[in-house]
Amino acid sequence: MRGGERTAEVWGERTPFARGGEWPARVDEYLTDEPERWVQSACVLCSNGCGLDIGVRGGRIVGVRGRAQDRVNHGRLGPKGLYGWQANNSPDRLTRPLIRRDGELREASWEEAMELIVARSQELLDQMGPLAFGFYTSGQLFSEEYYAQAKIARAGLGTPHLDGNTRLCTATAEWALIESFGCDGDPGSYTDIDLCDTLFLVGHNVAETQTVLWMRMLDRLHGPDRPKLVVVDPRPTPAAREADVWLRIRSGTNVALLNAIQHELLANGWADQTFVNEHTVGFEALEKTVSQYPPERAAEICGISAEAIREAARLIGSGERLVSTCLQGVYQSNQATAAAVQLNNVNLLRGMIGRPGCAVFQMNGQPTAENTRETGANGALPGFRNFENDAQVDELAALWNVDPLTIPHWAPPTHAMQIFRFAELGSIRFLWITCTNPAVSLPELHRIRAILEQERLFVVVSDAFLTETAQLADVVLPAAIWGEKTGTYTNADRTVHISDKAVDPPGEARSDFELLVEYAQRMDLSDKDGAPLLPWSSPQEAFEEFKRISAGRPCDYSGLSYEKLRGGSGIQWPCNEEFPDGCERLYANHEFPTDADYCEAYGHDLISGAENEPDEYKAHDPKGRAFLKAAEYIPSPEQPSDDYPFLLNTGRTVFHWHTRTKTARASELQQAAPEPWVELAPADAQRLGVADGDLVAVESARGRIEAPARSTGIREGVVFLPFHYGYWDEPERSDPNGRPRAANELTITRWDPVSKQPIFKTAAVRVERIGDGDGAARTPAISTQERLP
Amino acid sequence: MNKIGLALRELYRAEEELADEYVKVGERLAAEHDIWYECKRFAEECHLHADAIRPVAARYEEQLAPADDSEVGETTTAALRHKLSELLGRRPESGLLLLRSLRQLYLQAQEVSFHWLIAGQLAQATRDQELLTLVDELHRETLTQIKWLKTQAKVASPQALVVGSRS
Repeated sequence: MRGGERTAEVWGERTPFARGGEWPARVDEYLTDEPERWVQSACVLCSNGCGLDIGVRGGRIVGVRGRAQDRVNHGRLGPKGLYGWQANNSPDRLTRPLIRRDGELREASWEEAMELIVARSQELLDQMGPLAFGFYTSGQLFSEEYYAQAKIARAGLGTPHLDGNTRLCTATAEWALIESFGCDGDPGSYTDIDLCDTLFLVGHNVAETQTVLWMRMLDRLHGPDRPKLVVVDPRPTPAAREADVWLRIRSGTNVALLNAIQHELLANGWADQTFVNEHTVGFEALEKTVSQYPPERAAEICGISAEAIREAARLIGSGERLVSTCLQGVYQSNQATAAAVQLNNVNLLRGMIGRPGCAVFQMNGQPTAENTRETGANGALPGFRNFENDAQVDELAALWNVDPLTIPHWAPPTHAMQIFRFAELGSIRFLWITCTNPAVSLPELHRIRAILEQERLFVVVSDAFLTETAQLADVVLPAAIWGEKTGTYTNADRTVHISDKAVDPPGEARSDFELLVEYAQRMDLSDKDGAPLLPWSSPQEAFEEFKRISAGRPCDYSGLSYEKLRGGSGIQWPCNEEFPDGCERLYANHEFPTDADYCEAYGHDLISGAENEPDEYKAHDPKGRAFLKAAEYIPSPEQPSDDYPFLLNTGRTVFHWHTRTKTARASELQQAAPEPWVELAPADAQRLGVADGDLVAVESARGRIEAPARSTGIREGVVFLPFHYGYWDEPERSDPNGRPRAANELTITRWDPVSKQPIFKTAAVRVERIGDGDGAARTPAISTQERLP
Repeated sequence: MNKIGLALRELYRAEEELADEYVKVGERLAAEHDIWYECKRFAEECHLHADAIRPVAARYEEQLAPADDSEVGETTTAALRHKLSELLGRRPESGLLLLRSLRQLYLQAQEVSFHWLIAGQLAQATRDQELLTLVDELHRETLTQIKWLKTQAKVASPQALVVGSRS
């Protein structure tokens, strides 16, 4: 394929198949020239992590081709995967370091840039100590890079302030898994899609967020023994349009709905009592809580009919192989972890986990999000270790040959929003941001910009492009990206891929791995015998070390190697002596990693986020049983009012990734979705006198944006805005004071009390028409085209 | 005078005072977004506890006024304290203020917890099933509040007290 047709035919042709059949291969490729050679890799533009080969000619990337033998995608690629690589060749790439001088970023040498960073670091370390250092990383780097960051922060400097933007997308997946099963790690396999007879998607716009996974689901849905499909979403997503039951609930009411579904499972005897008795704890408390949520009560809270809830529960309760999934409609919404845990409960109550066709997927947002979690670059210690378990911390310290007291473990590793809060207070003075763009992606942007602009905060940004965040930095380091460096990463069903270096980075750009190792060396970070803490000259050496760190833990990499990952398909962890070819499903024996000595955390009160006491946990050690945890429904912190009558929902479009730093530089993707839009229900549009394409202003208590309107089958009272759009490609109105358009001008600074994931999908706003449009809005016709009743 | 009724009055008073303190702290620390939100919710929870105690206390001849939750919403003083918090919210001393506030809440929550403990003992000794059920449910919520306060203090204290102490 050489054209741009896949922005119109997002999921390509159907290859239907029946339950238990092999998903037929279909090799997708997009080339701008004939490659001289192919280099193995995997896509980094969503959490599916499709295996692909990079085509190279004359030292440049000229295209990509899906790997037919890869278990994840069987050759397929989505539009971002097919076209996104062109960003590597963009003339906008940063090629030299930049240093702020007299208020302006000016080109400098690597020596000058690194010297400045190290001098500032040493000065701060002397004056204020390690807690003045913060690191904010990505869900886009490679495993080896996160591991290097984790080791620098946790064992080198000794600061708890390292987190990833994975906090914005996948922290709730992590914590929902820990709260229910004792440890992170998605239990299921994508092959469970091939085997299921019922699919339950909650707040998971899979057709846009994970296009290739949706192709797999679609091929089952269009096959001879179509699974039943239940979809929960306020928007008319492509999945909602395919559903047997679509629950178009009011934003922020997931817990009430899922409690009612559980109510029905129990009331109708659809729970597997034997499984519940033998493999779970907490049933009585759960039963008591969900008994308060008959469908009528949930119907009122969620704004749907009780009959629809009953019908959904009937499908979920009568299937024999249930796959449940959730994503940002849960994770970025009110009561994120509490709701995600209720979805785990549904599968536990039905005993549908760890068996072929039976799984619950706490999906990941980003391609390498799983790796920040495994390596300890976000909310846990490396290898899913429990910061409150001294034996586990001692073990890690011994492996690293450092004093256990060096590793901050007096409290959980600091979450992103708290890192920015400490920077706001002035107790963090050094912030190194790698490969992410908080000046567009964090909530309440006027506040985030003010924090990054502070004189007293030294901001280092390493990125491939001059993002809105890089523009506020003191030092900008030009980074090599995917295709220009070697490393590994893991997708949402635990499949580890290798991505080999295909081409050299442009100009003087270097990989974050190299930068971090050099920083550690210049800072003289060492173990307790004085040996360098990061003694690696290649990512492979870091990978080999991480294999030792992860050995014996649930995410066991010890049986993997770069060689083993080359040539065939990606491999699922754990991969060790017991599972030399990887492990398709966790918990096949229905033993969960909840044992007090082994678990990743002791869990939280789902409502307040209060941490459970270690002694209390040990006294009631579940010893391998899963938790059924109950939660009451609590209304969203910001409810619609007379001043702000609408609920704002923000999210993705299929054509863009994050803040468009890469996807806007691929012309097919940029043309498919060139500017933001506001989705309104037809009745709301009519009341406001807004026609499609008219310019509207959306305003919250925190800010305002302007964009063209489009009416869709979205729930009345809810407006949707894509979150991808910032200001870097708006030359004439290049700042929020011109024509603001970033969704996060409006969002609220509030996070889930357990996962600490910001609640982007709950803000009260008002909408007003401010002008004529230029005809139809230039909005992509994916979630917007069809109007359903 | 009924001594059991008096003990329940003490519990009621402690819950109401804790609610007031949550409201004050929440507003004073509005720039700490999680503190502000959770304090508001806990204030409501304390008032609910106080209200739940009233009918039981009445049985022991102790007439208690309805819980006064008027301050939980948006009042003028609340708005003022909220604004002040945002203005002062960028000064490092905010960390110390946070710790002091958490300590005060922790002490008062412990007092409430103590009174629940006593109430539980009285319920058992008088075979008062209604009170026993109440204690079972609501004391657990107070203990969760205490756990939450400890969680917050563990995160806040090193940053408030250690950073910069080398200079």
